[in-house]
Amino acid sequence: MTMTATRTQTIATRVRRRAEESPGAVAMRYKDFGIWKEAGWLTYWTHVELVAHALMALGVQPGDRVAVHSENRPEWLYADLATVAIRGITVGLYPTNPPAEVAYLLSNSGAKILIAEDQEQVDKALAVIDECPDLERIVYLEPRGIRGRYDDPRLMSWEELLAMGAERAGPLEERMASAEPGDVMTLIYTSGTTGPPKGVMLTVANVEFAVRTLVENGGFTSPPPSERDLIVSYLPLCHVAERAFTVWFNSAAGVQVNFAESIDTVQANLREVQPTILFGVPRIWEKILAQVNIKIDSASPLKRLTTRLWLRVADRIGDTLVRTGGRHTMGTRALYGLGWLMCYRSLRERLGMRRVRYAASGAAPIAPDVLKFYMGIGVAMHEVYGMSENTAIATGNRPGRIRLGTVGEPQEGVELRIDELTGEILTRHPGTFAGYWRNPRATADVLDEDGWLHTGDVGEWVEGTHVRITDRMKDILITAGGKNVAPSEMENALKASPYIKEAVVIGDQRPYLVALIGIELDTVGEWARRRGLSYTTYRDLSEKSEVRELVQGIVDEVNQRFARVEQVRRFAFLPKELDHEDGELTATQKVKRSAIAKLFEELVEGMYRR
Amino acid sequence: MSDRESPTKERRPWKQGRPPMAWAADIPTGRSRRPRGRPLLYTSYSQDMALLDTGAKKVWTGLLVLVAFGLSVVLADRSLEVLAGAYVLAIGAIGLNIVTGYAGQVSLGHAFFVAIGAYTGAALSGPPGGRTLGFGVAEIWIWLPAAGLMAAAAGVLVAPLATRLRGLYLAVVTLGLVFLGEHIFKEWDALTGGPGVGRSAAVPQLFGVRLDQDGPLGTREQLLYLLMLVLLIVFAVAARNLARSRIGRAFMAIRDRDIAAEVMGVPLTRYKVLAFGISSFYAGCAGALLYSISGYVEPGSFSLLLSVQFIAMVLIGGVATVSGAIAGALFISLLQPLTRSLPALVPFVSADTTVTPNVFQVETVLYGLLIILFLVFEPRGLFGVWIRVRNYWKSWPFSY
Repeated sequence: MTMTATRTQTIATRVRRRAEESPGAVAMRYKDFGIWKEAGWLTYWTHVELVAHALMALGVQPGDRVAVHSENRPEWLYADLATVAIRGITVGLYPTNPPAEVAYLLSNSGAKILIAEDQEQVDKALAVIDECPDLERIVYLEPRGIRGRYDDPRLMSWEELLAMGAERAGPLEERMASAEPGDVMTLIYTSGTTGPPKGVMLTVANVEFAVRTLVENGGFTSPPPSERDLIVSYLPLCHVAERAFTVWFNSAAGVQVNFAESIDTVQANLREVQPTILFGVPRIWEKILAQVNIKIDSASPLKRLTTRLWLRVADRIGDTLVRTGGRHTMGTRALYGLGWLMCYRSLRERLGMRRVRYAASGAAPIAPDVLKFYMGIGVAMHEVYGMSENTAIATGNRPGRIRLGTVGEPQEGVELRIDELTGEILTRHPGTFAGYWRNPRATADVLDEDGWLHTGDVGEWVEGTHVRITDRMKDILITAGGKNVAPSEMENALKASPYIKEAVVIGDQRPYLVALIGIELDTVGEWARRRGLSYTTYRDLSEKSEVRELVQGIVDEVNQRFARVEQVRRFAFLPKELDHEDGELTATQKVKRSAIAKLFEELVEGMYRR
Repeated sequence: MSDRESPTKERRPWKQGRPPMAWAADIPTGRSRRPRGRPLLYTSYSQDMALLDTGAKKVWTGLLVLVAFGLSVVLADRSLEVLAGAYVLAIGAIGLNIVTGYAGQVSLGHAFFVAIGAYTGAALSGPPGGRTLGFGVAEIWIWLPAAGLMAAAAGVLVAPLATRLRGLYLAVVTLGLVFLGEHIFKEWDALTGGPGVGRSAAVPQLFGVRLDQDGPLGTREQLLYLLMLVLLIVFAVAARNLARSRIGRAFMAIRDRDIAAEVMGVPLTRYKVLAFGISSFYAGCAGALLYSISGYVEPGSFSLLLSVQFIAMVLIGGVATVSGAIAGALFISLLQPLTRSLPALVPFVSADTTVTPNVFQVETVLYGLLIILFLVFEPRGLFGVWIRVRNYWKSWPFSY
C-alpha cells in the first residue's frame, strides 16, 4: 500500500508518507487542560483520511470549496489536508471576521462545506446563511452551546463527520492519485486594505515550489528545517505566511507544530514550548519589545541597572551585527558570551526565544531598531518579503548576509526586477498564483502576459543584491507642494516607540503632513501609573496633557531624522483603539487608510485648520 | 520503537478490523518524553506533579543527599551525634507540620505523642523482668512501627476533640494533654522509672547488629547517624508525597477554610482524624528514636518546653513545607550546642540551673524571641527566605 501511482506530490501525500515511515513521531501538540497533548503522524493521517472520506460522502467534488473558520488547532490541519487530498479547495476565514465579511467570503468563494470552530462562528454563519446559497453543511468542532439547542438540519458535529468518514469510505486513493499540478488547492483572501478581499488561487504546483524553495532548499532557515525543529502556531492560518510555517513546514520537513491556546497566551506558550523557529508580524515583535521595557522599568533597582547595562551592550552588539550582516566578530562574540551569562540567557528564556535558531518578521514593514534589539540579544532575526500572490516567495534576508532596512535577497529560482518607470517590484517564478478567484479583471491588473507579477510595492536595490521596499504604491502621498512622500517610513519610525501603537500619516494634496496617533494602552498606562496620573479610559488617557507632551517628544525626535517635507507638523490622537469589527483594521491588523481618513475626517481637518 | 519492528502489521492498522473511530480517538505517539530542555512543556500530568520536576532540582537534591551521607565519614563523633538528634527532631517536626502546617490544626500536645512513642519503644525493647517494664524485642523494625502506631492510636483518640474545636480552644485542649501526660509518666514508675530516675531507652538493633555500639561497620555515632539519616529521608519523602496527594490537598482545604472544604465534599472528621493520626505516628517514631541515641529516658523531658521546641522548628523552618521543617529542626538543634557554650563567652550566664540567668533560661528566651522575630519579619520561615532568594534569581532579569 505504498505510493500507489501517485504522480503528483501534494502536502497530503507527504503527510501520508510520514504516517507510514514514522507513525509515532510527534507531528503536533495542542494544549488541553494544562497539558500539551501530542498527536503523532499516524493520528494526523487517520484523521485526514476520515475527514476526506466524509467530505466525499458529503459530495465534495474536485474543485469544490471547503471553508474553515477556526483558531489554529489540529482540526484546521486535518480539514485542510483532507480537502487537498480529495482535490478540493480550502478557504480560510479569520476567526475575527465579523458576520458581514463572513457572508462576503462564503458567498464569493461559493463554499459548500463550512468547518466552524464554535458557537460564535456558527452564529455568524447562520446569521448570513441566506446570502450563501452554495453552503450545504456547517460542521462545528466545539459542541458547547450548539448540541441540543440548534436544530438547523445543515449542522453536524465533528464527531459525526468522523463517524461518517469511518462508515462511508469512498475512493480516496483514486482521488488522491488523480491530483494534477494545476489543481487549485487553496484560496487565500487578501486582507483588503483598499477594496473587498480577493481570493488568491494557489495551485498544487505553486505550493510545491514554495515547499522546495522555502523548506527543502532552506530558503528561510539554514540549515533547512527538520523533525527536530519546533514552531508555535499562533497567527491566523488563513494567512499565507502562517500557512507556510505551520502546514507546509510541518508536512514537508516534519517540523513539530505547537498550537498556542489563543493569541493572548502566546507569550506563556512560547515560554513553555521554546520553539526553534519563530515567525512573527511586526506588531508581535514590537509588543514583546514594549513589554520588555515595561518589565525592566518595574524591576528592582539592581536588576534594572544590570539589565539596562546589558541591553545597552546588546545595542552595541546589534550595531556590529548590522554592519557585518549578522556574523559575529571576535569582540562581539566575547561580549555576547559574557552578556549571555548575565542577562541574555534568562531574558531569552523569559521571552520563549532561548532556543530560537531562526526568527523572521514579515507581512508588514518593521522598524529597523526593533530588529536590531532582537539581533543584539542573540535572536537571529531576518526580515522576509512575500505575498499571497507569489506564494510568499520573493526575497528574504539570509543568515549571515542581513542588510537591515531591506527585505533581503531574491530567493533561489526567483526572477525579480524593479520597474524603471514606477519603481514597482515585479516577480516571476513557478509560485506565481493562478489568478484571483472569479475575478479575471483584477488578475489581469497584476499579472502581465509575460508572467510578471506586479506586487504593488515600490522598492529599490541596495548594493545590487538586497531589496529595500519604500512603500505600497497606493499609499505614496503627493503633497500640495508636489513632493512624493512614502508615509510608511515615518509611520514605522513612530511605531518603533513602545508608547505608540498606531500611526497614520496623512497629507495627500495637503500643504504639510499630519499624523493620527494611537497610543499603546499598556505602556502608556504603566508610564502614567508610575507618574501618579490617574485615568479611566483609553480616550481619557490620550487626552492628558502629559501624554501629549510625551508623544510630542517622540514625534520631534523622529522628525529630526527626516527631510523637512517628510516631517510631521501636527498630530492628533485617535479617540479609540482601532478595531477589526469596526472596519478600521483588516483581519491582519493593517490599517485601512481610506476608512480611517473618512471616519476621522473631523480630526484631520482640524489639524489643517489651525 | 515497536512500530518499526513489525512494519506490515503496524502500517495502516486502522484497516485491520478495529473500528476506525477507536483509532482516531487515541493513537499513542509512542513517546511521552518531552522535548529536551523545555522544563515547562508538560505532556502529562505526572510530569506536572513530579517531586523533582527540573534537572536542577534532581542534581542539587542528589548532591545534598550525597553530602549528608559523606558527613558520616568526615565529621567528629560528637558532631554526628548532634546531627543524628537533629534528624530525629526533624522527623518529629515534619509530623507536627502535617497537623499544624498542612491541616491547620494547632497542636501544643506534640510532646505527649513523642512520649508515648518513646515509652512504647523503650518498653518493647527493654530487658524482660528488669526494674521497669520490658519485652526484650530489640529489633528496630518491630518497635519503631509499634511506637508510631501506639502514638497514632492516641492521636486518633484525641482527634474527635479537634473536629469540634478550633484555633485557640484546640490549642488549650492539646496543652492539657501535655500536663495530663506529664502527670501519668511521672507517676507510672513501672513503665518510666519515675521522675529523676528514668529508664533505659529503646535499643536500636537491626537484624542482630547493635547500632548503639561500636562495630566493624563504624563507630556507634556513625551507625546511629546513618540510621537516622536514612529514616529521615524515608519519612520526609513520605510526607512530601502525602502533601501532594488527594489527602494533602484535603488537609490544605481544611486549613484554608474548613466550612468551604466541607462544602467541597471533604469529610472534615475523617481528615482531621487522619491528620492527627499521621502526625502522631511521626511523633511516636521520633520519640522512640530520639532517646535511643542517648540510651536513657527521663519522664520530666516531655514537658511543654518540648512542644514549644517543635513549634519553634516548624515556625522558624517554614509552615507547611517538609524541607522547612527539616531546616527548622537543624537550626534549633544546632542552636543548643551554641547556647551551651555561652558561659565560656559571656560571664554572667551560668551553666548551673540554680543560678539566674542560666543557659537553659537563655535557650527558652531565644526560642520565644526567634518565633516572634520570624512571625513578624518572615512568616514563611527559613523556607520563605529560600523561596525569596530563589525567586529573585528565577525571575532574572525582571522582577516578576
